[in-house]
Amino acid sequence: MHINYWQELTHHREGQIGLVLLGILAGIALLAPILAPWDPLYERDMAFLAPSLRHLLGTNDVGQDIFSRLLYGARSSLCLAVLAGAGATALSLLIGGTAGLIGGLYDRVVLRCIDALLCIPMLLVLILVAGYLTPSFFSLVLILTCLMWPGGARVVRAETLSLRSELHITAARSFGARWPYLLRRHILPDLAPILLANFVAVARRAVFMEAGLAFLGIGDPMVVSWGMMIRQALRFTYLDAWVWWLLPPGLALACTVAAFAYLGNILTGVLHPRHEGGHTHA
Amino acid sequence: MLEIKSLTLDIGSERILRDINLKVAAGEVLALCGESGAGKTSLGLTVMGLMAGQVQGEVIFQGRNLLPLAEEEWRRLRGREMAMVLQNTDDALNPVLSVGAQLLEAVLAHGLFDRAAAVLRVEELLAQVGLPEHKCNSYPHQLSGGERARVLLAMALANDPALLILDEPTAAVDTITKAELLSLIKAISPGRAVLLITHDLAAAAVAARIAVMYGGTLVEVGTTPAVLSDPRHPYTRGLLRSFPNMTTVKDLQGIGGEGGRAPGCPFHPRCTQRLALCGHKIPALQLREDRWLACHRGGIVPLLQMRNLGKAFDGQWAVAGVDLTLQEGESLAVVGETGSGKTTLARMIMNLLPPDCGQVERDASLADGAVQMVFQHPRASVSHRFSALEIVREPLDIKGILADRDEIARAMIAEVHLPVDAAFLARYPHQLSGGELQRLVLARALVLEPKVLVADEPTSALDASTQAKILRLIMALQEKRGLALLLITHDLALARKVCDRAAVMLQGRIVEEGPAQSVFTQPSHPYTKAMVQHAPQLTGVLPSPLPGAAGTASGGCPFWPRCPESLVVCREVNPPLVADGQLRIACHLVSGQGSLAG
Repeated sequence: MHINYWQELTHHREGQIGLVLLGILAGIALLAPILAPWDPLYERDMAFLAPSLRHLLGTNDVGQDIFSRLLYGARSSLCLAVLAGAGATALSLLIGGTAGLIGGLYDRVVLRCIDALLCIPMLLVLILVAGYLTPSFFSLVLILTCLMWPGGARVVRAETLSLRSELHITAARSFGARWPYLLRRHILPDLAPILLANFVAVARRAVFMEAGLAFLGIGDPMVVSWGMMIRQALRFTYLDAWVWWLLPPGLALACTVAAFAYLGNILTGVLHPRHEGGHTHA
Repeated sequence: MLEIKSLTLDIGSERILRDINLKVAAGEVLALCGESGAGKTSLGLTVMGLMAGQVQGEVIFQGRNLLPLAEEEWRRLRGREMAMVLQNTDDALNPVLSVGAQLLEAVLAHGLFDRAAAVLRVEELLAQVGLPEHKCNSYPHQLSGGERARVLLAMALANDPALLILDEPTAAVDTITKAELLSLIKAISPGRAVLLITHDLAAAAVAARIAVMYGGTLVEVGTTPAVLSDPRHPYTRGLLRSFPNMTTVKDLQGIGGEGGRAPGCPFHPRCTQRLALCGHKIPALQLREDRWLACHRGGIVPLLQMRNLGKAFDGQWAVAGVDLTLQEGESLAVVGETGSGKTTLARMIMNLLPPDCGQVERDASLADGAVQMVFQHPRASVSHRFSALEIVREPLDIKGILADRDEIARAMIAEVHLPVDAAFLARYPHQLSGGELQRLVLARALVLEPKVLVADEPTSALDASTQAKILRLIMALQEKRGLALLLITHDLALARKVCDRAAVMLQGRIVEEGPAQSVFTQPSHPYTKAMVQHAPQLTGVLPSPLPGAAGTASGGCPFWPRCPESLVVCREVNPPLVADGQLRIACHLVSGQGSLAG
């Protein structure tokens, strides 16, 4: 089975939408300082201004430019998504991969730990931890990473286990290949699509999770985020301001999650063709 | 009767015979075999004192050394005490004299008979060689080749010599005449020593002993059954493999390289198990077990020796106490139905699975990477991320052989008859056909130049014509590189064409093992018999089904529920593997008969 993943992504409507959305978001995040007309933390203008050419989406209760905050929000959301995704996937690979390769007692212990961690309600832990620690942006990344690796580790372990007995790896072993070679040339390349899918899934959940936490008031107040914006806007729903204050970050959040979800869907479909059906294998 | 000691013959500066030591007893037929130019005829002529050249050593005949004799004394011996039938039957007879006249001349030559007795002797000789009396008046051109050979034999026997040297007596006659001549030779052998010079191994098979010559030296001397069924010198094995006959079942294979004389062991340029030593030191003829061998390596080397090898999965023995030896350059088939433990055995040989008991001993001459494997499913055994070139190059990459790795891989790909253009080399497995992929996998296994190839069902995924091509390729490579092949297959018809020896596996044990022809044409174990019956036939006749179902035996011989001949004891005791000559069989029926006969 030889699959061109890029082709799979670009040949499906969902994949195209996901890629375009993610591309736009990434562009915004990267170019936020250029695109944003105001400093997102700048507070000296009038509060509750309606949208105008000066403030495209008006200003909030402390006189910050909402449009600028929206652009900078993409930054923190994507940053968090990428960091948490990469961190959790790396941890999944390390723990799941070694469990699959080493096996034995280590594997059993790891597997029980994963099961235990998966049983813990994540949101509860997050609220408790974040509540006590009043987290910064990076400690939030760390907490999300630590909470989201077990699911991926489980998948990576199972895949490694089946890869280990694959004939092409046995063949390489028969030529005298050692683990570093097998990892580099056989196991990691074969795990790559699974890691990618895992990364996308974790990223999606991280964005969602951060928004949820910010909404509950847990988060770094100095970091501009969509979740925080929604939380602030909610207190003023009796004003007309919610139209340009509450809706835009909500939509942006929805777009981001949708983009990740679309990509994840395609990747999962390619990895497990029977679940989705209809994917063409080049 | 005849003893040749350290005989050396030089003609000019060329050494024709080197250090020949040979004994022929009275009443014994000794066959002298070898390719043309090995020095067989020169040896015969030297013994007859007819070879011009510098001779050293001794030819002791009837207690005295003949070499110092004057020509006059030689002449008295020749035709009377010793006689030789020369190779070319057409030239040896005088075309203008009748057969009777020529025979009479031979009888009278030594003055042992008066004329009347001589005529009677001629009649006697004609009867002895099975010619009717009236042929006496025939001229040579009126006789058939077989009849002329008989006349020559009669001439040689004229004075009842004690030593008879026959040089290719059966060359160029049909098989029926050949058989008659050979039985005639056997009939005249009592009381005299017969040296039968021949390249025809079927003719040599009637002799009591066989001496194999190569490049003017003796390389193997032993009793005929031993030499023909279990050749120990690589050259003897090569001769047997190239000799078409109705006994062996393997396809014909030649001997790589060209014959000739070389410093050191004369055979070393063509030998696939040569050492550096073989190139400059001449091996001495030494007694090893049941025969004399001239080989620095002590004959064909056992490369892999499995001793009591076993592997259990979840308490079930997948392989249970296998003893098996793979010799240098031979093909050994391990046949058996699915689940008989063949693949587990292969993986233990490859060190891919640690055995639970016993071990696989590798010959010390085997370097790292000298044992390689072709896996059962070519498509699964390559990574779909590798291009054709990368697939073949992988073992080199792993071993860190980076210099010229692309050239080595390309040469190997060419050797398995695949294209080596850039377009092909860049293809990925899904762009290759099953046959191409199988060749590629074969090239990958051979790129490190192994001495042993373990092939697990190498062709089971291919159609018959592709399979045939791959197997011919493997056999050609075996001839060229001296590759020992362990072929794991369930296909007896295929194993029969490719293998020298076969081992039949049943539920992790070997139940029959021996030369391929015995196992496949005269199977002893009922399981082997059943497999042979069920092997592909073109007759359309289906064999009768076996009585029971597989895997239902809870004790005793694992085959008894399906065995049409099972005894009560078969349900109780699993029979041990018992050696019987070249064969090993694990069956109560066979060992029971053996004990009755014994």
